[in-house]
Order: sequence, then C-alpha cells, then structure tokens
Amino acid sequence: MIKKTIEVGYGSVKKVTIGANLPLVFIGGPCAIESREHAFKMAQEISVICDKIGIEWIYKSCYDKDCRSSPDSFHGVGLDEGLKILSDLRDEFGLPVVSDFSDSQWGAATGEVCDLVQVPAYLCRQTSILRSAAKTGRPVLLKKGQFMSPWNMKNSVRKLEAHGCNQIILADRGTFFGYNMLVNDMTCFPIMAGTGYPVCFDAGHSIQLPTSMGNISGGQREFIPHLVRSATANGINALFIEVHDNPKKALSDANTVLDIKYLENILFQAKKVHELRLELLHELGEDKIHLDN
Amino acid sequence: MIEIKTVMLPLHSFPVVKGDVILKIVLEQMNAKRLGIACVVDNKSNLLGIITDGDIRRKLLSYQKPISAFFVDDCINHMIDHPSKVELNESLNIGLDLMKLKGIWDLPVTQKGVLVGLLHLHPVVEALIKKENKIN
Repeated sequence: MIKKTIEVGYGSVKKVTIGANLPLVFIGGPCAIESREHAFKMAQEISVICDKIGIEWIYKSCYDKDCRSSPDSFHGVGLDEGLKILSDLRDEFGLPVVSDFSDSQWGAATGEVCDLVQVPAYLCRQTSILRSAAKTGRPVLLKKGQFMSPWNMKNSVRKLEAHGCNQIILADRGTFFGYNMLVNDMTCFPIMAGTGYPVCFDAGHSIQLPTSMGNISGGQREFIPHLVRSATANGINALFIEVHDNPKKALSDANTVLDIKYLENILFQAKKVHELRLELLHELGEDKIHLDN
Repeated sequence: MIEIKTVMLPLHSFPVVKGDVILKIVLEQMNAKRLGIACVVDNKSNLLGIITDGDIRRKLLSYQKPISAFFVDDCINHMIDHPSKVELNESLNIGLDLMKLKGIWDLPVTQKGVLVGLLHLHPVVEALIKKENKIN
C-alpha cells in the first residue's frame, strides 16, 4: 500500500504537509466563527503557541453550524460573511484555513476560499456532500461518522475518489456507545490508515456527550489530554482540537471546546509523543504482526 | 484432440475483478455466475490471483475481524497469488492433469500472462463424453 501525503495550502499561504512519518500537524480554532474580531484574536493566540512549540497548523472554524441540538442555538455567521472572514484571515496570517459545509450547494464557495474542506461526521456518507467536496479540487478532511465503523469509511473514500478527489485526510471523532455517549476505538487509526490516506484525531469532539444536556451536548474536557496522548502514540498524522479563549461563552460546543490556556501544554505533549513514535519507528521499523494473518 | 479454446469459459461468463474490488462484490459475482472462483486481474488483464469458495471458507474460520470488515476488504488482500493456470496453446490433457493433481474444478487459462478464459470441469467432461460417443 502506498501511503499518501497531503499538501494543504494554495496561493501565498504557508503549505502544510500531512502524511506518514512527517511531523504532527495541528488543526484548530473556535468551533464556529463568532465574529471577525474573535476569529482574528484566536488565530493570533494559536499562532503564538504553535510558533513557540514549532508545530505547523491549519486554522479551523465554521461559518454555519447545521447540526446544533436546538433550534435556538447559534447557527453561525453564514456563508458569505464567514468565508469573507476566513479569506481575510488567510491573507492576514498566511495560514491555510478549513471549514466544513453541510449543504452540497455551499461546497464550491467553501472550496474557493478554504485550503481544506471538511465533510461533517453526520454527513460522511452523503453522496451529494462528498461529490461537492471532491469537486472543489481541495484536499478533504473526512470525519468518521459516530455511527460508522472505521472499515466502512472506505465507501466514503471511494465516493470521493470516484469524483476525482485523491487528497483525503480521515478523522476520528469518537463512536456512539449507546445513547449520548462516545468512545474512541484506537484501532480505527490503523484501519482507516489502511486506505493509504493520513489519519487525524479530533480530540475535542471525542469527549462530547452528544445532546446529553437535553437540548445541547455535554462534554468531558478533562479527558482531552489523555486521549491526545493515546491517539498520538497510536500513530496519527494530524491532531484536531477546537479551542476557545472563553469556553463558557463559546457560541458553539461550549462544553467541549478546549480553553486555550491548556493548548500549549497539550500540543507540547502531542509533539513529543509523536516524535518518540517516529524515533521508534525509525529504530524498529513498522509493526509486522498483521503479516501473519 | 480437443483444444482448450473450444471448451474454456469465455471471459464474460466467469467472475473477473480488479484487485480493489471489495470482497462483497466478488462474492456476489461468484453467485451470479454460479461459479466457485473469481479471477483477479490488473489493468492490463494480467492474472494476479484467484479467490475460491474454499479460500473464503478457510478465511471465515481463521479471520478475526467482524464480517462487515471482511466484506469491505479489497479482494487483492484475500486472493491466492501465483495460482495454477494453463496456457491457451497447451493441450487440454495438460490442463486436466493439473486439475487432477491439484484437486481443483477450475483452472484459469492465460496467454502470456493475460487471462483469456477459464477451464471449468463440467463443459470439459461434456466435451470429452461427446467425443467418446462419436468415436463409439
């Protein structure tokens, strides 16, 4: 199997390469674009942390949150305003950006601006969304649905490929364990990596307790560092965490976004664990147990 | 003297798949063509391997993954590579001897590595019986 490397970034922004045996890449930002000022403030603060640690990163924030639990929840700043903010942020910081889209008609506009387009977990098997994502010509961050087995993600990969996309990153964000509860099956990383594409761990959403609070989701943020260390040691190529400077006031995913004050510590550990894993890989080579099967 | 090309199954009448076809589809094709074998080929139709009912049975008894994971595996990961085969210009007896020796019912027919047909025991036996009847 050929392991693919994905390059994210077009135009003048910094190119970020994600793939086997490469340094860990961070994908992060506030779950939703709350305002231009807030988006720029977060980009500035995360940049400082990533520069200090020496980790390349992609700014993530969404313009429309179509999967909120309640009709009263903040839905987002909308397509036009959101993409304008992301476009200006790219120019200002020279950073690649990613947003998801939940309507196939938004794919083209999203791909015009974003360096990486994200397929939401709940929509990971929707042919129209996958087709639209592929047609952007941008690399695609494909989240594994909480209801999907890691091996069945190959069907979604094949749909993207059928529409001309061969730049894919597969992400795990937990798997439903009964109602209102997620667990992380760490075997999903080698299984999804079996497609040949890089894999990513979404730590923030993995600790989510979906709609556990009646009309909003809860979360167990305290487990983020534990899961990050586990997933990084397991062998991931990118780490995804939504961060906020004031989680209690966050307009989306207030119970799961990581307070930015903890980000440096977590990224530092993730980078170290990743480097140790690569060191061991270099010293001992790939695991070979699967060859006995 | 019966020639292989007169008794072999033509390409469209037995399962021929690429290596990235998932096992579920391969099994469906084997059902549809009512044969216990599928031939795996590359983009130039070179024979890469075979998947047979027996291979699937053995896999099911040893495979430690859920059946849904088994179904979605690329068939190339489960094929028998370097399968027994016979060249198109060989005599039918060579093919039959090989089938007897290996205890198999189906034998891919190739021409310089390219899959061109399949020897299946039933039509071969039928042709031999017809020939025998004519002689008598």
